[in-house]
Parts: sequence; structure tokens; C-alpha cells
Amino acid sequence: MKYVLPLTHPLLSTENVSITLSGLKILDDVSIGVPQGTVTGLIGPNGAGKTTVFNIMSGFLTPDEGNVRFDGKKLKHIKTHHLTKMGISRTLQGVGLFESLTALENVMLGGSARVKSGIVADSLGMPWADSEQNKLRSQAMETLAEFGIADIADRYPGELPYPVQKRVAIARSLISDPKVLLLDEPAGGISASDMAELGRMIKSWTPKRTVLLVEHHMELVMEVCDLIWVLDAGKVIASGSPEEVRTNPAVLAAYLGEEVSH
Amino acid sequence: MTNFIDYLLGGFSSGAVIALMAIALVLVWRSTRMVNFAQVGQAMFTTYIALTIQQQTGNWLLALVVAIAAGVVLGVIVFFLVIRPVKNSDSTGAIIATFGVLIALQAGAGMIWGGDPEGFVPPVDNSGLEIGGRIWPFSLYDILVLVVTAALVIGLTLLFTKTALGLSMRASAFNPEVARLSGVRVNRMLITGWAIAGGVGAVGGILIAPVSTISPTSFDILLVFAFTAAVIGGLDSLVGAVTFGIGTGLIISLISGYSDSSNAPVVALILLALNLLLKPDGVFSHHGSRSV
Repeated sequence: MKYVLPLTHPLLSTENVSITLSGLKILDDVSIGVPQGTVTGLIGPNGAGKTTVFNIMSGFLTPDEGNVRFDGKKLKHIKTHHLTKMGISRTLQGVGLFESLTALENVMLGGSARVKSGIVADSLGMPWADSEQNKLRSQAMETLAEFGIADIADRYPGELPYPVQKRVAIARSLISDPKVLLLDEPAGGISASDMAELGRMIKSWTPKRTVLLVEHHMELVMEVCDLIWVLDAGKVIASGSPEEVRTNPAVLAAYLGEEVSH
Repeated sequence: MTNFIDYLLGGFSSGAVIALMAIALVLVWRSTRMVNFAQVGQAMFTTYIALTIQQQTGNWLLALVVAIAAGVVLGVIVFFLVIRPVKNSDSTGAIIATFGVLIALQAGAGMIWGGDPEGFVPPVDNSGLEIGGRIWPFSLYDILVLVVTAALVIGLTLLFTKTALGLSMRASAFNPEVARLSGVRVNRMLITGWAIAGGVGAVGGILIAPVSTISPTSFDILLVFAFTAAVIGGLDSLVGAVTFGIGTGLIISLISGYSDSSNAPVVALILLALNLLLKPDGVFSHHGSRSV
């Protein structure tokens, strides 16, 4: 696949986004696009602003200038709790699981936005609230089973090995059936074999789902991405296929001092 | 020995009420990570409302229902008027603001209902039951108090463990950002926590009123005991609040029986101090998530 830039109809994009935090210009006129059905990578040295792009896309931060566009609609003030309903799901660096909830409850929470019953029905223990809850519970069990970890449903995250926690986190982000997944360093802290499996998993989601991937492990990025954007010091310095990016002198210069593993 | 059993029996229903107030404190702590010192003031206010209704209609159940509704509304009002604006800048400020609310509620109640202690007629007989030719310090009303408390605790436990709302509330308390990413309307959950706490506090107030009389400041001592129970229980544990609420009730009853009731608050504070010295995270706290 080859993308002509600028992209004509990306599913998710930032348009001329700039933001200054604590007097530092973190993002400067950043326009990146994520075409439908692709795995798109967002890479760059530490401090390039990758996570800030995610934070803006998920409504944690509001850009000073520019905006996010999703599914053709311009999003001015993004409400974080609306994301899953819109079809955007994000994982966090690390695992971001709730330590006091079981693995199953963590996954259920990811789908709870779609449960219709209200506060009153819930408080009074109305039967329909109950059945919605059961539906969610069995759906969460299925999702855990898909990830091969149904047996740890009732365990707390603290009792689980790190790679398993990561799977729970991904299961939670998938249960809401998102159109777009924003993955923030999913390969952090996992073994090479787990990473290969993660790569296959991400690939298997497309083209039904679209993925924007922030990742330090270049081998994973180069393997799974259809398109890569490179940020450095808050600016887009390159974009293109993995091969184009790999050989781009500006990218190599940005990574000078940091090893690019092939 | 007979004395001991009598004192112990006498402590259960006051322990249940302490447990309810402790639960209210825990619910607020869980949602906004702060102690609401106005909780007993809110309960006092709603109990006055209940008293008025009972005096007008003689219907205790109606008084209870209205008091719960008023407690819920008051919880939401306190959250919006005081806690939210202050909390945004500084949580210590918010805790001090709850003291302000307490004083305002007490002054308001004094203006509306006067400062004199008033009696609250219990819905069922409050004199000791006679079983086996002996009068025990345990009444039909004590049974009612325990039944209502147990029902409330079971209801809350089911709410928190079996419903999507409960799940969302627990998630919001633990990590609001991640909860938002999962589609939880966190602010709504925080308000719900305050609202439920207000309702639970209202039940506690109406249950203790027949035993203690009611005046604008008559519940203040309840705050000392409930706070002790909640902190020893770990501040975020319902089980802890119930266990140590009832435990505190029993200890107070024993101390009042063997010495003098005025010693009870001192002992409660000594227990609190020991707890903070020996096990500062509380006995039932998860993962040491408390920062005092």
C-alpha cells in the first residue's frame, strides 16, 4: 500500500494541532492522518510529543490551535467519557488497570458505557439492570477467553504476570467494539515471543478496526505498520511506508544517539 | 457476667448507627478522597425534617422515606455548592469547607427548629424485651435498627459488586482518568457517591434519634465514633466500616457500663491514635491507597 500525502479521507486525524504546556511548545502544527483499516505508527525520540497527540485525541488536553477530526467530523472539545461510544478506545502506557477490580471487572468496565440501565434501576436492583449486567459479564468472559486468559478472570491485576496484565488491558479496550484503537506502547516490558504474538494480533484486527500505534520497539512498528508518521520535537519530520521511513535521512538524524533496531 | 452481657447487648444498635455513619464517610472518601465532616450535620438536618413529618402525620415510614430523599438531595447540594468549587483548587480547603457546612447546618437547624433537645417517638416499642422471666436491655426497636442496617449494608454491597453502576463508582474512585477512557461519566459517579452517603447518613440519623434525642449538635459525638470506625476500617472499606462501627458501639457500651459514658469519646480517640500508630493504612484497606 502506498499513501499519497496529504491523505484525502483519513478516519482519524489531527489538523494543524499546536499546544504549549508550561511554556514549552510540545506540538507545533502537527497534521497526521490514520487511514481507515490500517495500522498507522506514530514514532519519534523521547519527548517528541507522541503521547501528547494521544492525550489530545482522547480529550485529556485541548489544543491551543487546530483540531482533531474523526469520521469526517471536526471534534472541538472532546469529552473523554464519550470516546468509547464514538468508537475510539485507548490503552495507556504501562497497563492502567484498576488494582482493586478483578480482571473480569476491569474488562467489564470497558463495556459499561453501553449498559443502558440507569442509576435508579441499578440501585433498586431491577431485573433488567441485572440482565444487562449478566450480558456484559458473559461478554467480558468471552473476550478474556479470546485472549486465552479466561482462567484468571477472578484474579486481581497485582497477582498476574505483567504480560497477562497487558492482555487484560487490551481485552478491556476491545470489548467496546471500537473502530479505532489508540495503543500507547503495547510492547513495553514484554518478551520477544509475546511481542511477535502482539504483532499478529494487531494485524488481525485490521481492516475491521483501525489502529494508531505509539511504540518504541522498531521491529514491531516496522512489521505491523502500513503507514508511519515520525515526530521530533513536536513537529512532523517524515511520513511514509516503513521502508521509506527507515531510509529517511531526517529520521536517522532525529534518532542519532538512539539505536534504531531493524 | 450478667452485667457484661447486658452492656454488650445494649451496644449493638448504637454500633449499627455508628456503622451507618461510618459507611457514609467511607462512600464520600471513596468518591472524592476526602472526609466530609458535615456528614453528621446533614444527618441532623434530615432527622429534623423527619421529626417534623412524624409530628404532623405520625407516620414513621413516610418520615424515613422523606429523610432519605432529603439526605440524597442535601448530599448533592453540598457537593455542588461547596466541595466542587473548593476541591478544584485544594483538597485541604475542601475538608475545612465541610466544617463550614457543618456549622451552617447547625445554625440553620437552630433557627428553624430551635436549640432545645426534642424527643423522637420510636415506631415500635423501645423498652427492654422480657424473655425467660428477665428483662433484657434489648428492645423491639433495637431489632428494627439492626434489620434496617443489615438491609442497607446488603443493598449497598450488592450495588457495588453486582451492578454496572457499582463497578463504575469503584473505578472512578480508583483512577478517574482510566475510568473516563472506559466511558464512565466520572463526575456523575462522584455525585452519586455523595448522594448515597447523604441517604445512608439520613437513615443513621433517624435511627439514633429516638435513643439520643435531637438537637442541632446532638449528633456531633457520633462523628467522633463514626470517624474512628471508618479510619480504623481503612476509610475505603464498607466491611471495615461495619465491623468497626459495631465494634465501637460495643466498646462504648462496655465503657459506659463499667465506668462513665463521658469516658467513651476519650477511649475512641485513644483507639484512633493507636490505629494510626500501629496500622496507619487501616485494617481493611486495599493496597494502602490512603494518604492522610
